[in-house]
Amino acid sequence: MTKTGMIDFRGVNKWFGSLNVLKDITLSVEPREVVVVCGPSGSGKSTLIRCVNGLEAIKDGDLVVDGQRLGDPATNMTQLRTEIGFVFQSFNLYPHKTALENVTLAPIHVRKIPRAEAEKAGRELLAKVGLADKVNAYPAQLSGGQQQRVAIARCLGMRPKIMLFDEPTSALDPEMISEVLDVMVAVAEEGMTMMVVTHEMGFARKVAQRVVFMDAGAIVESGTPDEFFSHPRTDRSRAFLSKILRH
Amino acid sequence: MIWQQLQSLAGSYPLALRGLGMTVVLSLISLVLGTLLGFGLGILRTGGNRLIDSLIGAWVDLIRGTPFLVQIFLIFFILPEFGIELDAFTAGIIALTNLAACFICEIVVAGIRSVPTGQVEAALASGLSRWQRMRQVVLPQAMRIVLPPLVGQYVLLIKDSSVVSAIGLTDLTRVGWLVVQRVPNGLLVFFLVGVGYFIVCYPLIMLARRLERRMGAAHGEVQL
Repeated sequence: MTKTGMIDFRGVNKWFGSLNVLKDITLSVEPREVVVVCGPSGSGKSTLIRCVNGLEAIKDGDLVVDGQRLGDPATNMTQLRTEIGFVFQSFNLYPHKTALENVTLAPIHVRKIPRAEAEKAGRELLAKVGLADKVNAYPAQLSGGQQQRVAIARCLGMRPKIMLFDEPTSALDPEMISEVLDVMVAVAEEGMTMMVVTHEMGFARKVAQRVVFMDAGAIVESGTPDEFFSHPRTDRSRAFLSKILRH
Repeated sequence: MIWQQLQSLAGSYPLALRGLGMTVVLSLISLVLGTLLGFGLGILRTGGNRLIDSLIGAWVDLIRGTPFLVQIFLIFFILPEFGIELDAFTAGIIALTNLAACFICEIVVAGIRSVPTGQVEAALASGLSRWQRMRQVVLPQAMRIVLPPLVGQYVLLIKDSSVVSAIGLTDLTRVGWLVVQRVPNGLLVFFLVGVGYFIVCYPLIMLARRLERRMGAAHGEVQL
């Protein structure tokens, strides 16, 4: 048995119809590691992290998360998901619930934490992401950046072992990006295991131990942020970097 | 002469009240049962099992595609042939409940399907069980879409209940038929019958309109 990481892809393949969206992915994410996944749109990076919490099923290969093999009948997917926070590009806050209710819903119903205790923890989390004054606001009353921070607090409320971010700042106005990135940096610095799909290279340089570059469903290149940004090894990654760094 | 007719009509008010009562009781029971059953079927139908989905779908299509009068006759006259004896009241309740459930099922399915997939994914990702996802995330949002046509469906149900007079239940419509035999003024009698139905239905029509307006509001919380 080889050493296993927190998230372990071994020869993972996935098809959408005849399209091979994930090609022979092998990647291991260690506990407390922050991995940034980047690549052109349609390269399979979102699909990659959606596989980790089972929002997408893999076709073949092995994917082991927190010691549990996905697709194995013995794996309780609902249970495993409570250990994995997922932040969506489009926030996906529950529009009929306040910020606080969004944060406390799963702790109360899944973790069975008493309401008063969950609300206390929820208020603290919202304060931590800078939204102490918005606990009773509905998502529609919040800006995009505020919504995304509530979404991160919602994940943190479950005290997950892993957090996945699917282009968390792509739907935001430029002036709101940094407030979300600041929260993500804080989460990373507390030692969270993270996989982050993003093109925010400043974020990658600051907290990522590794950058993974994907193209057409395959991992093309993988290295430390410094290596990747300063000395990209392939033509495809050079072409990609020249496009996103030019402006 | 019209004076005599009016006097005679006034004399039949206990019968009219009984008929109105029967209409309200029939409608209310089948409305409650039909709502429960309709929500159950709608939730089952969106559960992702294709066999269950198509079975319920076929039943709903069958019921929606046949006249209610025929359904009531089938239940009341054909079931006894198979040894299931039903009194008219039970047969009426079954037929009306089934009809309501089928229409409500379709309304609920439309409501559930209107909830964005991202909502279900968010609930899934936080480890909510299937029932918790439905109860906490999907249904409250679906209710925005469901409530106005649901109340509208109740109005239709109350009016459809007039068909049960065909199997001998003394509801408001049948009272009309009985009274018109004594007071030969169909126009007047059935005008009053219509007024009776309208009095029951109008508050619901108002409610549907109010709900529609409230559902359009900012974040549209729905208290279940």
